[in-house]
Amino acid sequence: MDERSEQAGGKQAPVIEPGYTFGSVTDKISAIVLTRPTSTSWFIGFGAFFLVTMMLLYAIGYLLVRGTGIWGINIPIGWGFAIVNFVWWIGIGHAGTLISAILLLLRQSWRNSINRFAEAMTLFAVASAGIFPLIHMGRPWLAYWMFPYPSTMGIWPQFRSPLVWDVFAVSTYFTVSLLFWFIGLIPDLATLRDRSENRWARIIYGILAMGWRGSARHWFRYETAYLLLAGLATPLVLSVHTVVSFDFAVGIVPGWHTTIFPPYFVAGAIYSGFAMVLMLAIPIRKIYALEDFITERHLENSAKVMLATGLIVAYGYIIEGFMGWYSGNRYDAFTLWNRLHGPYAFFYYMLIACNIVIPQVLWIRKLRTKPVALFAVSGVILVGMWLERFIIVVVSLQRDFLNSSWGMYYPTRWDWMTYVGTIGMFLAAMFLFVRILPMISIFEMRTLLPEAEVKE
Amino acid sequence: MSTAHMRNPDLMAPLVVKTIGQRSLVVGVIFSVIAVAGAFAQPAVFFRGYLLSFMAWLGVALGSMAVLMLRHMTGGGWGMVIRRIMGAAMRTLPFMALLFVPICLFGLPKLYVWARPLESITDKHLREHLQEITRSYLSVNGFILRAVIYFAIWNALSFFLTKWSREQDQPPARDHSARFRALAGPGLILYGFTISFAAIDWVMSLDPSWISTIYGLLVLAGQVLSAICFAVVVERILVRYKPMSEMLKPDYVHDHGKLMLTFVMVWAYFEFSQWLIIWAGNLPEEITWYMRRLNGGWGYIGLFLVVFHFAVPFVMLLSRPFKRDVTRLVWLAIWLMVMRYLDIFWNIEPNFSNTLTVTWADVVVPVAMGGLWLAYFFRNLGSMPLLPAYDLDAKEVLEPAHE
Repeated sequence: MDERSEQAGGKQAPVIEPGYTFGSVTDKISAIVLTRPTSTSWFIGFGAFFLVTMMLLYAIGYLLVRGTGIWGINIPIGWGFAIVNFVWWIGIGHAGTLISAILLLLRQSWRNSINRFAEAMTLFAVASAGIFPLIHMGRPWLAYWMFPYPSTMGIWPQFRSPLVWDVFAVSTYFTVSLLFWFIGLIPDLATLRDRSENRWARIIYGILAMGWRGSARHWFRYETAYLLLAGLATPLVLSVHTVVSFDFAVGIVPGWHTTIFPPYFVAGAIYSGFAMVLMLAIPIRKIYALEDFITERHLENSAKVMLATGLIVAYGYIIEGFMGWYSGNRYDAFTLWNRLHGPYAFFYYMLIACNIVIPQVLWIRKLRTKPVALFAVSGVILVGMWLERFIIVVVSLQRDFLNSSWGMYYPTRWDWMTYVGTIGMFLAAMFLFVRILPMISIFEMRTLLPEAEVKE
Repeated sequence: MSTAHMRNPDLMAPLVVKTIGQRSLVVGVIFSVIAVAGAFAQPAVFFRGYLLSFMAWLGVALGSMAVLMLRHMTGGGWGMVIRRIMGAAMRTLPFMALLFVPICLFGLPKLYVWARPLESITDKHLREHLQEITRSYLSVNGFILRAVIYFAIWNALSFFLTKWSREQDQPPARDHSARFRALAGPGLILYGFTISFAAIDWVMSLDPSWISTIYGLLVLAGQVLSAICFAVVVERILVRYKPMSEMLKPDYVHDHGKLMLTFVMVWAYFEFSQWLIIWAGNLPEEITWYMRRLNGGWGYIGLFLVVFHFAVPFVMLLSRPFKRDVTRLVWLAIWLMVMRYLDIFWNIEPNFSNTLTVTWADVVVPVAMGGLWLAYFFRNLGSMPLLPAYDLDAKEVLEPAHE
């Protein structure tokens, strides 16, 4: 498990290109925020996504006025786009904590250059996810009823419902991710404070740096706190998507009620999370000339994680399909038939193509280091994972036990505006993030340099 | 190459391995005689114990193969130091295939409802269900054919992993890591699928009307846990002697302890997920499996597993000094192997009895099979050096510890 010995023996690309010093690493990363002039294309990109965010606000505003009737949901399909998008975004949000916490505990030092923006991505993805259940309530101003507070009305949440567990799981996850991200930022915020020429920037970064001076005692406490938070965050990676899978699996709807769901959802979440990390990392490293820090090694390792988690997802499909047939349960068998031949069959085949067939090209080593190809495959996986949630939510509800309660689901333009709107919000936030905070952890990159190796 | 001066005899397992092997053989033979005598008296009872002990020891052999392939994927000294232990356990797979023959020849109708004549089944719903499923999947021929395929795949993987590893005992130094990786990646996928279907065939189909899609992964997690615990036990025996006393560093033991912790948690996670989903759904075709296992005294075993297969080992494994000290860790490893056995017992036996019963076969057959298995294992362990000296990664293990 020791990274350095592996580097010495293998022919793999390094985690950081040679020739850098402590100073030049700091210069290069902090310059993106402090000295590099903001380009026109940044303004165009941010402006465009900001407009899409405005569309989201419009769609939500109209929803609050008119109610959820403007969406395509109906009976029997009471969970439409809102839940599909919620699960999709939450899944994407898993890569951040996996990279920061689990890979830290596994001593995988290659994570050091991608953890910061993966964590930021997690926060924005969870924020996007959180919008959906909230607005899906119909009366979001009563959302606080979900919490068990001493109420004079005698209202108490149903603790046997996984929907209540979700409230706790997601809010805990968001809080811990935010803390983890912020604590990781403190030493770098202090660097920006010290290097900034602008008086206001110095004050703001100074407040955020919380008096960091970089003394040995600071570092000692920092490392302890960071490791403890990583330990806390690790079970969260599993718990959040496990609870999301319980939302479905504890019900008895065919297509939802199956015991493989927890590990299969977690694997799918990491799968889509890494796809999103690659879709962001590939353009960013190109635009900001960070190929020396986010090397082919990072691309290849991320591709391997996607390949492995994708295969677990494939295992889930196969076992679920087999059991539907083996059990002799006619409802399970019909669910399988309905996916293959029902009105939404096209999307099921698309799902199989996007999630299982196409990603197998990642077995080819050359493709794993080709940014353009990886970008394309990651896009395909993100589409596939969205379709998976669509199949699970809509196609299962669409035709359950009684023919008399079958129905069809057609998303309306408001559904689409909300969905696309959250993508816009997510990307606008990413634009702001790369502009005002160091997107790569400066001090952790410095530990990767040969200078940092201490003889024991 | 600094390993060039290492002569292979220095790396051979100590002679004690032979002694343990011989003693295991004696125990195995004595108990086998008792077991075979019992088999003639009470064949149905015998085969219940037989399937139980077969699954328990298969878990160690197959789990070792899985951990070995995992090591080839990830690298690292923790795996190098136990590589030959896991290899020796993996090379017992031909013996496991042999042990499966009696089940196919004599055990099927005694163990599996679906292998009995349909007319003998009184439950109307079960008969209707079996009418369909025995035609398509759960037929005797299909069962045997699938078993042949599983064992062929496992033995083929074991053959190549051993062959290439053996080449690294002789000069010149070779880097087989790419070749091992190319086999281990697909090998792990094959293992995942074959063990899942084997688990369905051999254990889940004892109750042909019950399904659980996570069941294959549950069996898989249990096997990997058994294998890691077994490796810890063997390294504890070997660490008293050269060469293991020089190779085994606290850092490696720490990694083995972490793996134990991980798989204790993974097992509990899968087990809890299965239970919660089935309990909440409360469907008649599913909940009956738990009704059997939570009533009539079986519930005590279930509760015991929750506490002593998960909670207590989990808390103990959180301690860092405990994980780094092999002389202490080994006791938990032995305990967890007993718990693995109990878990398989709790999965298999309630199919045959409504109330908690322990038969002679549940004790005698596992000891008999275990004695023979261990004799074979220790013979394998003595036949190859404990470290492939001409693997490029061997250098790291042979270096003296930093601490």
